[in-house]
Amino acid sequence: MSVLTLDQTSRWYGNVVAVNGISMTVRPGITGLLGPNGAGKTTLIALMSGFLAPSAGSVTLDGEAVWRRTDAYRGIGLVPERELSFGYLTGRQFVLANAELHGLDDPGAAAERALQVVDMVDPAGRRIGTYSKGMRQRVKLASALVHDPPVLLLDEPFNGVDPRQRLHLMALLRQMGGEGRTVLFSSHILEEVEQVARQIEVVVSGRHAASGDFGQIRRLMTDRPVQYVVVADDDRRLAASLIAEPSVVAVSLRREGGVDVSVSDFGSFAVRLPRVARQHGIRIRELAPTDESLESVFSYLVGG
Amino acid sequence: MNRTVLRLAAQALFGRRRGVVLLLIPAALLLLSVLVRLLTDEEVGVEAAVGLGYTLALPLVALLAATAVLGPEVDDGSVVYLLAKPVSRHVIAVSKFAAAWAATMVLGALPLLVAGLLLDWSQPRRALAFGVSAAVAGTVYTALFLALAAFTRHAVVIGLLFALLWEGVFGSVFAGVRWLSIGAWGREVGSDVSPLVDAAGTGLAYAVVAATLLTAAAVWFTGDRLRSFTLRGDE
Amino acid sequence: MSDPSAATPEGASVIHDLGYRPYTGARRGPGAIARALVVTGFRNAFGLGRSGKSKVLPFILLALNLLPAIVVGGILVFAGLEELPTGYAEYAGNTQVLLGIFVASQAPVLFSRDLRHGTISLYLARPLRSSTYALARWASLLGATLVFLVLPIVILYAVSLLAELDVSEQTRQATVALGLAGLLALCLAGVAGLIASWSTRRGFAVVATIAVLLIADGIVSAVQVIAQEEGRSQVGEIAGLFSPYSLYRGLVGAWTDAETATPPTSTGMELAYLGMLLLISAACLALLVRRYRRVATA
Repeated sequence: MSVLTLDQTSRWYGNVVAVNGISMTVRPGITGLLGPNGAGKTTLIALMSGFLAPSAGSVTLDGEAVWRRTDAYRGIGLVPERELSFGYLTGRQFVLANAELHGLDDPGAAAERALQVVDMVDPAGRRIGTYSKGMRQRVKLASALVHDPPVLLLDEPFNGVDPRQRLHLMALLRQMGGEGRTVLFSSHILEEVEQVARQIEVVVSGRHAASGDFGQIRRLMTDRPVQYVVVADDDRRLAASLIAEPSVVAVSLRREGGVDVSVSDFGSFAVRLPRVARQHGIRIRELAPTDESLESVFSYLVGG
Repeated sequence: MNRTVLRLAAQALFGRRRGVVLLLIPAALLLLSVLVRLLTDEEVGVEAAVGLGYTLALPLVALLAATAVLGPEVDDGSVVYLLAKPVSRHVIAVSKFAAAWAATMVLGALPLLVAGLLLDWSQPRRALAFGVSAAVAGTVYTALFLALAAFTRHAVVIGLLFALLWEGVFGSVFAGVRWLSIGAWGREVGSDVSPLVDAAGTGLAYAVVAATLLTAAAVWFTGDRLRSFTLRGDE
Repeated sequence: MSDPSAATPEGASVIHDLGYRPYTGARRGPGAIARALVVTGFRNAFGLGRSGKSKVLPFILLALNLLPAIVVGGILVFAGLEELPTGYAEYAGNTQVLLGIFVASQAPVLFSRDLRHGTISLYLARPLRSSTYALARWASLLGATLVFLVLPIVILYAVSLLAELDVSEQTRQATVALGLAGLLALCLAGVAGLIASWSTRRGFAVVATIAVLLIADGIVSAVQVIAQEEGRSQVGEIAGLFSPYSLYRGLVGAWTDAETATPPTSTGMELAYLGMLLLISAACLALLVRRYRRVATA
């Protein structure tokens, strides 16, 4: 069990506060670190990987601080955002060097295993300078996996990677998370996070905006109207009767059919909708939420 | 000392273009020695050739070597791959220093010894003195430039200003510079090996102590800077 | 499309479309582009138009370069000398280390930077030929080097005028020095630019340029000093052809009153020196243009 804990962590540079009193616990499984550009995601990952000291608060891995504890790297695999500039080394040489630096008993075998996991065994004999972006990401991942770390930190791993390799990477991360490792990856692309991680940590302007399963977060936002789309056999009459309901905030007719309903209290709406429909003799064909997506959660948290 | 870091540093040193220039500098020195030998047997020839090798070629080789093993990686942040390992930062610094030091010895100090022999093989002890001076000075240069490379992106220009302007130009005008001149310390040690090498006038003890202290401090400083390395994001 | 800045005629109503509007004004030709590039490059060489930190180094080097001129001027005035202790043209010979470091460290700013980060393609996506780009960059570096070389001459000239030395004599000497400075600048800009465009890592380009300039000069000086001692000045004269600094020194020795190691003694030799300076400049420029043409088509 490897648990990363941030406790009231802050980091400032003079007058600029990059991370503002964030407390979070990263447990085994996949966690997505979400935030707009400049929100402090890389700073957080730097704090968690021991490359930055917190100005206040603490960052601990299994109870011990990570800053300036080079031993901690036995248990952490880091995939930074920065490009690999070891262009003169082949993929295999690079992963092998990483294995040797970790002091593994059989660095050659570990390197081969890591290359197999990321599916880079064939191109491993070529120089890194000749690799595509996705291949470089995979080599970076292999170098982070070579010592079988229980904790894996990835900074924007899907940046600039083509769709096919992105699917491969996402499957890989899911596999890592499934094995019980603690995987944290940062991204500002919602679809990726949605497909890989259920547990998210949202960081906006250095502050912790939300944490947890994003469906649950959505439900926590009770002061914001929930959007539904209702398709019925008589949309206009349904809209007219729904707007009379106290739990309904707004209705609008969709051009392609159906009614967009904004609801302030979905509990009572869920009770009232079938009754209203029966009362007016309207048959309801479809009912779906339109904002139970990470995107709407995110835009609400970021936009305020 | 970590063999892997050493190996990586050595590979960085002899990447194609850099390796070419690293080899050209001692080659130029040896060429000059041959030319001088052909032209004259006088003392002035030896002085000129050795002067070039000691005040120009040696610091340049040390600068090139030191900035090759540390500069580019720190500049674009790839050194993080070396640092995210359970290896002590000071061990990394020492290993990189060792690689750059070896290059400086072979391509900076050794050619001076060979040049001394080429120019006047009746005085092998003097040639040895040249080599020893260069070895001492080269060691300190490498350590100092390595620390500069860990500290600032302008390590090269600052190193050049130090070696060429401070030690070269100012050193020939102001006598007091010798107390703070690596070249002077090296010469002091060399004059102990053979009296034919002009001593700088600081005394052997001072020169040895100063050289050792500066080398140790610079390598330690490099390790310390590596410990404070931070991951930079998109700023 | 209606013009938002035009007045609405009386009685009429109009809605202006404030969306994207393309530029419909006059477009200037490639000459103007090249001019703008030269000016920007020249300013960038001194850190103007860029961040504050990039101004530090060039201005420190410039100040260090001008310091001796001010000191010499002071000595002239206070010691009441009859003529300048250091001639106009000799000055550059004395400060050649600083000059070399300046050219070596600023050439990468103009050449390596764009190649390394790939922004060269942004420049070449304009109606700008790669050869024009190379020439413009070279011209900026030339201008910066000229400033470095000419300012001390100007300072010394001003001081000598104020000290009421013979005007015609000083003007003659200063003019010769200016001409020689121009030749040296052409050469240095070519060499430094070529090396900087060849090696895209900044630190490496700096060391390589310094190595080429100073080691070549060191070898030549050593040979010249020996040749002079041995009385074989012919060898020294020929050796002087092999480095920009020694070519400069040679011509200084021939055309001014300064004392240098083995200046060219015959007119043929002088012409050879002159020709060599121009040849190096032209060759470097040609190679530079060729390099950028290869980069543009790569």
